[in-house]
Amino acid sequence: MNEDLRAAKLWLSRIHELPLRESVAVMNVCGGHEHSLSMLGLRAVLPEKIRLIPGPGCPVCVCPEEDIADAIALALEDGLTLVAFGDMLRVPMNATKGEINTLAGARAAGADVRPISSPQEAVAIARDHPERQVVFFVAGFETTSAPVAAMLAEGVPDNLSVLLAARLTWPAVDMLLQDKDSSLDALIAPGHVATVMGAEEWRFVADTYHLPVAVAGFSAVSLLAALYSVLRQKLENQPFLDNCYAELVQPHGNAKARRWLAEVMEVGPANWRGIGIIPASGFFLRGAWQRYDARRRFDVLAAPRRRIGEMPPGCDCAAVVLGKLTPEQCRLYGKACTPMHPVGPCMVSDEGACHIWWQAGLRAA
Amino acid sequence: MCLSVPMQITEIDGFNATCEARGVQRTISLFMIEDDEVAVGDFVMVHVGYALRKITADEARSTWELIDEILAVAGP
Ligand code: SF4
Repeated sequence: MNEDLRAAKLWLSRIHELPLRESVAVMNVCGGHEHSLSMLGLRAVLPEKIRLIPGPGCPVCVCPEEDIADAIALALEDGLTLVAFGDMLRVPMNATKGEINTLAGARAAGADVRPISSPQEAVAIARDHPERQVVFFVAGFETTSAPVAAMLAEGVPDNLSVLLAARLTWPAVDMLLQDKDSSLDALIAPGHVATVMGAEEWRFVADTYHLPVAVAGFSAVSLLAALYSVLRQKLENQPFLDNCYAELVQPHGNAKARRWLAEVMEVGPANWRGIGIIPASGFFLRGAWQRYDARRRFDVLAAPRRRIGEMPPGCDCAAVVLGKLTPEQCRLYGKACTPMHPVGPCMVSDEGACHIWWQAGLRAA
Repeated sequence: MCLSVPMQITEIDGFNATCEARGVQRTISLFMIEDDEVAVGDFVMVHVGYALRKITADEARSTWELIDEILAVAGP
């Protein structure tokens, strides 16, 4: 650790020596990065001119309400087991009073809803209960989508299907940067997404938008090195794609994982909660794999569902996800909304900025 | 948390591997790893039960130190 600590201090002092004149807004798009930045208290030790902004790094937070409504409707069906990563169980949707508004609520009402931590658990549950239909509700980015593609490619029992709310990370960043009012100066690209998809996926930030970008891992050393890189790029007005997580991230990622993704899934326009449709930003099952699509398998999902609303009243989660507000700028943060009683998805998920900031002890002034 | 964790491979059986980290044993899938990329004794970065990539023992150690540090602040 000593060695790591020394390296981190070195990067920190290099950052302090940079002649920054204006304030610089650096966005990260990964719940893991935000965890490290917040829990290690890096904001407090960096020069004041540097603003570290959490961006769209939480797949649970952007999972559309209609998908949560679909999952709840399925869970309440007889003879059906719904499995999902634990985070999803508590994510609320807007519902009229008395209506079930979370998967946890459906479970309390007698539905068979089970939290799992890996696709193999979904397969095992389906194998152990051939008489039941098992639906795997998946909200996640590329790091989760690739394992789900691999799971299907490896072969699953016929009674298993998936309800996909899987998203790609870079199109949301692309959308943010297209915005003329965007005040972002640089991007720290997500290390584990890049481990799967490759660093090259982020080159567009430098090439198209002329902004500095560096892929980072999760240690203080890697994050500070990436931060130093983008600040240098900015000062020298020479943006390029840097890779500060070369131990894990190759230019084109994990070839096998990408092969499974391409084989099983295709990319199309998708709705992001509170944000709207982003072109080419969602994973959907392709061709013959659609026989595992819960949306095709179950009639309950064919019924038109009323769009209820984007976010709970007063919740600024959509603006938080886009980096337009920080969590403590939401009026409900820490008051009506805490991890014990979350109002919006950003306070539920481990990867949500509100949850992370609260856990790290960041309180409103 | 959805962060990947480093684990050490103790046994390989086709696409499955038994891995160990901090005394905890888990069966993980090698389905996303190139054939022959890993052997017993190697460390891999594991995400939702799938090995994402082989890593060095050093990388595994410093990642665990980081996770410990984060958990110390956040609570388990
Ligand atoms: S603090 Fe709660 S209500 Fe406010 S934006 Fe975050 S999740 Fe929404």
